[in-house]
Amino acid sequence: MKKVGTEARTGEWAARWADFKYTIFLMRKNPLVMLGSIIAIFFIALSLLATFIVDPNLATPRGYGGSYPFERSYVWSEGHIINWGPGIALYDGPEFFYLGTDRWGRDLLAMIILAIPVDMENAVIIVVGASIFGTLLGALAGYIGGVLDEAILRITDIFLAFPALVLALVFAAMLGRSIPTLRLALLLVWWPPYVRLMRGQILSEKGKTYVEALRALGAGHLRVLFRHIIPNSIYPILVQATLDFGGVILTFSALMFLGFSPTPSLPELGNLAAVGYGHMFDAPWLIIFPGLTMLLIALAFNLVGDGLRDVLDPRLRR
Amino acid sequence: MRLYEYVIRRLILMIFVLFGVSIIVFYLARGFPAAFDPVAPYVTPKMTAEQIAEVRRFHGFDQPLYLQYFFWLRNVLNGDWGLAGIYAQGQPVYKVFFNSFPYTVELAVTAVILTVTIGLPLGIISAVKNNKIPDHISRIIALTGYATPSYWFGFMLQLVFFYYFSLWGLPNLPSSGASGMARVVPRVTGMPVLDGLIGGNLAYTLDALSHLILPAFSLAFISLGFLARIVRASMLEVLRQDYIILARSKGLKERVVIYRHALKNALIPAVTLTGLFFAYLLGGALITEFVFTWPGVGQLSLQAVMQGDSNFLLLYTLILAAIIVAANLVVDVAYVFLDPRIKY
Amino acid sequence: MKEKELILEVKDLKLDFRTYRGMVKALNGVYLNLYKGEVLGLVGESGCGKSVTALTIINLLPENAEILGGQILLNGENLLEKSKNEIRNIRAKEIASVFQDPMTFLNPVLTIGTQLRETFMLNTDSLKQAVTAQRPKGKAITYLDFLSLKKQSSNKPHKSNKVPRGEVKKMAKTLCLDVLRIVRLPDPERILRQYPFELSGGMRQRCMIAMALARKPSIFIADEITTAVDVTIQAQILQLMRELRDVIEASTLMITHDLSVAAEIADRVAVMYGGNTVEVASTREIFRNPLHPYTQMLMKAIPNIAKPVKKLASIPGIVPDLIDPPPGCRFHLRCPYVMPVCQGEFPTIKEVKEDHEVACYLY
Repeated sequence: MKKVGTEARTGEWAARWADFKYTIFLMRKNPLVMLGSIIAIFFIALSLLATFIVDPNLATPRGYGGSYPFERSYVWSEGHIINWGPGIALYDGPEFFYLGTDRWGRDLLAMIILAIPVDMENAVIIVVGASIFGTLLGALAGYIGGVLDEAILRITDIFLAFPALVLALVFAAMLGRSIPTLRLALLLVWWPPYVRLMRGQILSEKGKTYVEALRALGAGHLRVLFRHIIPNSIYPILVQATLDFGGVILTFSALMFLGFSPTPSLPELGNLAAVGYGHMFDAPWLIIFPGLTMLLIALAFNLVGDGLRDVLDPRLRR
Repeated sequence: MRLYEYVIRRLILMIFVLFGVSIIVFYLARGFPAAFDPVAPYVTPKMTAEQIAEVRRFHGFDQPLYLQYFFWLRNVLNGDWGLAGIYAQGQPVYKVFFNSFPYTVELAVTAVILTVTIGLPLGIISAVKNNKIPDHISRIIALTGYATPSYWFGFMLQLVFFYYFSLWGLPNLPSSGASGMARVVPRVTGMPVLDGLIGGNLAYTLDALSHLILPAFSLAFISLGFLARIVRASMLEVLRQDYIILARSKGLKERVVIYRHALKNALIPAVTLTGLFFAYLLGGALITEFVFTWPGVGQLSLQAVMQGDSNFLLLYTLILAAIIVAANLVVDVAYVFLDPRIKY
Repeated sequence: MKEKELILEVKDLKLDFRTYRGMVKALNGVYLNLYKGEVLGLVGESGCGKSVTALTIINLLPENAEILGGQILLNGENLLEKSKNEIRNIRAKEIASVFQDPMTFLNPVLTIGTQLRETFMLNTDSLKQAVTAQRPKGKAITYLDFLSLKKQSSNKPHKSNKVPRGEVKKMAKTLCLDVLRIVRLPDPERILRQYPFELSGGMRQRCMIAMALARKPSIFIADEITTAVDVTIQAQILQLMRELRDVIEASTLMITHDLSVAAEIADRVAVMYGGNTVEVASTREIFRNPLHPYTQMLMKAIPNIAKPVKKLASIPGIVPDLIDPPPGCRFHLRCPYVMPVCQGEFPTIKEVKEDHEVACYLY
């Protein structure tokens, strides 16, 4: 009995590996997906190397010790100066700000580069946390069924009855304004879709004959669930997680924008945009570039996730 | 089960859901005095401690939570939803909400129209010319829209069409508010564009429209991509079906095959999506309303959350939940008409 | 011998499918001759290329198909060289197809009426003619009258352009009802209003046949139309086809994997294997005197009720993998008479006896 189980397992994993290779092959054929992947990898590399690339000094307020004279003194790139203020004189030097600076003389490019790892980290934590939690709940709901299923479904439905942003706002307001609590708030908002997704998959897998066969061979419920059903259902979850990556970054930054940021000096893309919002038309670049960066990151992951979803369509295969 | 029975069943279920929602929101809004002091929206910093205590007593915030809920429920069943906070001049919550709701509806309707008008053809083209250039282009448009931060896009629109246009001497679109003119027509529906049409005042209508375009487009841009993807996916699915082969084998023109045979089958998920999207928009697209200073319900809710105004939040969330549940129901019923195979 | 008019000729058709695992060499030189007024049975196992051949004729292949060579001559004109529009016209007016599974081949959200009417409306010229023909006579036009119109239409110019649209639609509806009666469907009025899922499998199949009839085709392609239905319905449908062929002078390409179906309805039979035509002869000849080893083994494998049999004969080996097919004659690995020359070039099909062609080195 043991031997048969092991053989079955190896065969199954080998098949999954071949399947995986086929998926990668199909994705490579799609130019947009490749583009997205390149951009995504670029940003991931950037976030890992950020502290090595950028001198953090560029991202701290300059001159005059603590407070800065309240005058408009923005600097656009190529040394092109929009307004004078006492602080500008400091910038006559050879420094060249590709993306301009903000009111305190902080280099926007440096701030953006430093902000990227923060956002990526957020996204990873929230997406991974939400997906694992939601997937497990969904798997239990789908597999065990009965009262547990109903209960989980109802709770999930109630969560889903609220638009994500409103719910996030409420949780954020309740839980406070620090980074960990904000992450928790978003996590609480993000897990419901995974429950539905996983549950649907489980329900359709449960009826398939291989499950019956495995149970007949004597495999326990846990084994069947975790070793066989879940890995077979994982692809849509992956797609959703990839797509959510961008969504989380956008939502988190929206929270910052709406005023939930712990401190204005936090390097986070939404925060940068929020700070810049006060000087909308004077220094538009303060919002344009952080937003553009967010767009690119989200777009990259969307391309990959969308391509993945395309490729997983069972009719396309073979 | 007949259709009527099905609908009634769902409506009864909806009442239970609403109850559940109300309890949860009530608990969240008033049960955490550390985070939200329920009295906060009703007091100004200038009030003395006694005045504050008086306000607290007036609203019943000093009572135990379950009693508070009971009082609230009793009031609600009598039609009294309580007063809103200072940010809304302490008006009755009901009035505050429905003053702003028409603006949100106007925005929502326009945004949905734009989304469907652009997103639907985009999705169809994407599916028909699968994996060719038009598909790639529409994919990028769609995914970019989906990846755009809504406040950023709203801002960019304002930057270009309001700021730079006026800098360059072009007629510019306004960047805030729903209407630049004083209310010169009687308030019938509360929506500036409609009221202008009903009142027969062309200038007012045009002005209202000019205010409407940017925020509506900002909303639509983000979601039309999503719609296009869904339409594409279901069209592709449908185009692979056997009956499409038969339709082609009859010698029908490709256009007929697509529009008469394929589309009707493929639209079902798109309809669901649009319905739910519309419901969501009716709750007020917070960020867009904020960026464009649109006097809608979303903006109000933002203030309410920030201030912890439990009365307003309760009304708002309950109406929102009701809308979403109702939208789900409408969509499910629409299925019956779209797909003759479905029977209840 | 009777003077036979060749309507459709497939010559040396080669076709590949591009897939992830390589090129599937689906058709390796298919030869078919379809004469006017006959029923040609195309038999072979699943995967031998019968349906693919049919789809190639009407150009409804999936995207990854690549035609490598050959000709498909309809009345002398090569279909492979025609534009998409021309082929579409041919589908609308010359070649009608009926497919295997009427559940999936009918559009579930459109009524039968809609799907039938649109087929008639493709032929507005003939409809207009029918209306003008009806007016003076004053009696209702039947489908059979409609059919006969076609034979005249090729000569007459379009003088009937002034027919109002409403009349054309009404004529289409009349013809719909009539054609449903011809395929023996009860209560045609009601059926026009119903959706496919409301009908039984046999009825759906008849509707598909009706849709094919609506085009007044000169060629019918019936792709496994009896496979998805049970035996009693199968018998009814074959009966219907028999009646129809007496009434309509179309030629039929009857594709099936079931030899008994071919035996019942076909005048001649073409046997395919692994993407090639291997034998063509009249039905009687094929069953009595099969020449190709594959055909012979097929015939032997048919269980005979009359004779007692201890063991069912079968053909050893498995169907060839079309990505990496055996060289030369694709059957040679399973052939009891295999010779060295069989591994070389594929044997050309030649007429070995009167009206009996085989592709085998034995001859």
